[in-house]
Amino acid sequence: MPIAEQGYVHWEGRLDARRRPWRPIARLGIRLAFRRKYFKFVLGMAFLPALIFAAGVYISERIGDFREMLRGADRFLKIDPDFFKAFFASDYLLFWMLIIMVLAGAGLISDDLRHNALQLYFARPLRKKDYLQGKIFTLAFFLLLLTLVPGFLFILLKIIFSGSFAVLAEFPWLPASVAGWSLFAAAFFSLCTLAVSSLSRNRRYASILLIAAYFLSDIFFGIFFGIFRDPHFALLSVKTNLQQVAAAFLGARPLFDVPWAYSAAVLAALAGLAGFVLARRVRGAEVIR
Amino acid sequence: MAEGSIFRVFVFALRLVRRAKKMRVFAVLSLLPVLLAVILRLNAVASPGRGLDGLAVFGNIIVAFGLQFLVLILALFYGTSVVSEEIEGKTLTYLTIRPLPKKAVILGKYAASALVLLVLVLGSTLASFFILNLGRLDYGPAWSFLGKSLAALALGVLGYTAFFTFIGTFLKKSVLFGFFFSFGWENIVQYFPGSTQKLTLMHYLKSILPGVGETSPSVLQFLMFRLDPSPAPLAVAVLLGLTAVFLALACRVFSRKEYLFEE
Amino acid sequence: MSLVLKAEKIGKWYGNVLGLSDVTIEIGPGITGLLGPNGAGKSTLLKLLTGQLRPSIGRLTVDGRPVWNNTALFRRIGFCPEQDAFYDEVTGDEFLTGLLRLHGYAEAEARRRAGRALEIVELAGGGDRLIRGYSRGMRQRIKIAQAIAHEPEVLILDEPLSGLDPLSKRKIIRLIKDYRSEGRTVVVSSHVLPEIEALTRSIVLIHQGKILAQGDIPYIRELIDAHPHVVAVRSADPRRLGSLLVADRAVQSVSYGPEENLVTFETRQRDRFFDLLPRVVAESGLDLEEITSPDDNLQAVFDYLVGK
Repeated sequence: MPIAEQGYVHWEGRLDARRRPWRPIARLGIRLAFRRKYFKFVLGMAFLPALIFAAGVYISERIGDFREMLRGADRFLKIDPDFFKAFFASDYLLFWMLIIMVLAGAGLISDDLRHNALQLYFARPLRKKDYLQGKIFTLAFFLLLLTLVPGFLFILLKIIFSGSFAVLAEFPWLPASVAGWSLFAAAFFSLCTLAVSSLSRNRRYASILLIAAYFLSDIFFGIFFGIFRDPHFALLSVKTNLQQVAAAFLGARPLFDVPWAYSAAVLAALAGLAGFVLARRVRGAEVIR
Repeated sequence: MAEGSIFRVFVFALRLVRRAKKMRVFAVLSLLPVLLAVILRLNAVASPGRGLDGLAVFGNIIVAFGLQFLVLILALFYGTSVVSEEIEGKTLTYLTIRPLPKKAVILGKYAASALVLLVLVLGSTLASFFILNLGRLDYGPAWSFLGKSLAALALGVLGYTAFFTFIGTFLKKSVLFGFFFSFGWENIVQYFPGSTQKLTLMHYLKSILPGVGETSPSVLQFLMFRLDPSPAPLAVAVLLGLTAVFLALACRVFSRKEYLFEE
Repeated sequence: MSLVLKAEKIGKWYGNVLGLSDVTIEIGPGITGLLGPNGAGKSTLLKLLTGQLRPSIGRLTVDGRPVWNNTALFRRIGFCPEQDAFYDEVTGDEFLTGLLRLHGYAEAEARRRAGRALEIVELAGGGDRLIRGYSRGMRQRIKIAQAIAHEPEVLILDEPLSGLDPLSKRKIIRLIKDYRSEGRTVVVSSHVLPEIEALTRSIVLIHQGKILAQGDIPYIRELIDAHPHVVAVRSADPRRLGSLLVADRAVQSVSYGPEENLVTFETRQRDRFFDLLPRVVAESGLDLEEITSPDDNLQAVFDYLVGK
């Protein structure tokens, strides 16, 4: 029997140029998220505002039928950028997006670290970029499901219920705004969640860090704003920054009198920091001293 | 005998808690009020025209940050860790094979976590109080305010950590449940009218804080929002009673339950 | 004094899943090997013996006393769990000292015992290193160290040799054998027969939650020998190889195919056959590519014993 030459043998095959190695990682992440206890319930809760706003779109075309019930609230049912801002920047939606991130995202990298699975991933023809893309897509899938899908659905429903394209004629940038904001929010939440997840081998700890960071920033904003009454302290709050940028994307009135670009810069800096953390923490091997 | 076992677990767990890298993150989190106090104090020095109502800011920090955030987050993590961390890390066997009553494992680990949290929370509170009230240390009500605040925070740490220890003994998703409890139930129901708010620990904690007439209105504004306070001695008794009940329940569940490690 | 572990008609269910069924067994001093394939119920039995689980039915005693929540008994039992799990951020020395303190030993005594246990498992030089930086073999040894540091009368080891290289295995086998002295009771589980053979002659066969057989190694060997073994050989000239071997009494049958270069022998005298095969190959100068014995494993013996 021939004895193989000892030593490292380089693989000389060629990788398929069209392959998408991040796809199985994303598919697995999505499937595992659905298997988690209470996940479907939480996702259902996160869809509640979409249902309510969809009903709002319907009622906006039947104001006459609902006048008695609305009692002057019909001014909130004008389907314009403010309507979309009210949906995308609502505390409720952002809260449930956070919970989805905790449930589906907190363990995405920390579980891999705990079980030394990164070595298994990187033992395959897989780059760090592919691995991170797969994980980001997992989270982006859920986030876009909560933002992009309802956003376009509202526009579609408005067109169907009104029987005209008036909404698009009046606000032609709306579809691009909806898509732009949804992608921005998905990218921001996904990157930050994954960065926090990569900081620990303990999913529970990562979950608590995520929750703490989100609420802490808002509490600090509340305290400083309460003392100084200066709207610039809104820049301390992740939630408020998201709301400011959402308003800017949609061409709606922002809640605070602070240039939206500042908020965008804060969020971009956080996302950049998250990217840096991910690049440092996601490695095939860990050296323990 | 049982006390000795509890103490032995306490010493063992204290070393683990102190050593954990997470501890450093939570220590930084706990020091944020101090940082906030320093910033405000420096700002007051830099802009002498704008007075700093140190006590009002302190009250704000105690309620908005201390009670409604820091204590909850720390207790949520450390309380659920008492059992969940041992199960997730599959290290529980090392404790349950020792000649210790199972309740000693719960009580010893709880005591270690509670002690660390008390040091973090009370230390940071004391420091921020002194920084914010540097020029008013001779103001009598400020000391009473501090004492009551420390009592509320300490009882909050003990009560919430006991509650999360209890739910950690039987719930796999204890963090998620704890999160909804902390930032849902506790933060919403405390503002409900009548007796409903008495179904929260936060109601009793806020009842310990200074009452009307004890401090300036700006402080009360934050503390008394929709609060229908219970008498302070009753609030202390209820909090201590609930802490004991949660711990007893945690010991009972832990002694009877068999824990399996997931692959 | 030696302790006797006694299970009387115990059963254990995990919800609807059966872990153990109607197990009656008595384990006395010396080393007893608990042998069974993965999922047979070995770990369940060991967890019951160490009070990690409570039997759903039946009676389980150590030294005549029930195990579940019997705190005093745990002074006399040492358990090395299967899972490769440790506390983060502690050194081997701190790990052992901390656990010994839980037994009630004073700090100095705990340190002395920890040092002694580290010496026994040949980790004296690594005691000040973080456990998460240990190799697999070192981690397995520190796990054994925590089980023996308080010098228990009963030592229970769940798959102590799993995943180790031959050198580490030899070290641990020697360690376990040394420990059995002074009338101590040692129970070791494994799914690999040669591992158990290297440790003891007394074994318990467990399969699908039931005790199949209990006895010494020769008895189990007999069972294996009574079971016809299939040996497949790949050779450039399989028919010639078959003709050279078929006359021997060790060979019960010979068949060829399905692949061109494959010959399959059936034998009831496994040892004799494996003596014969290399000799014949060497003498005849035949090329031999591969020898496989698809049922030369524990599962085949278990299947045979349960009449599959």
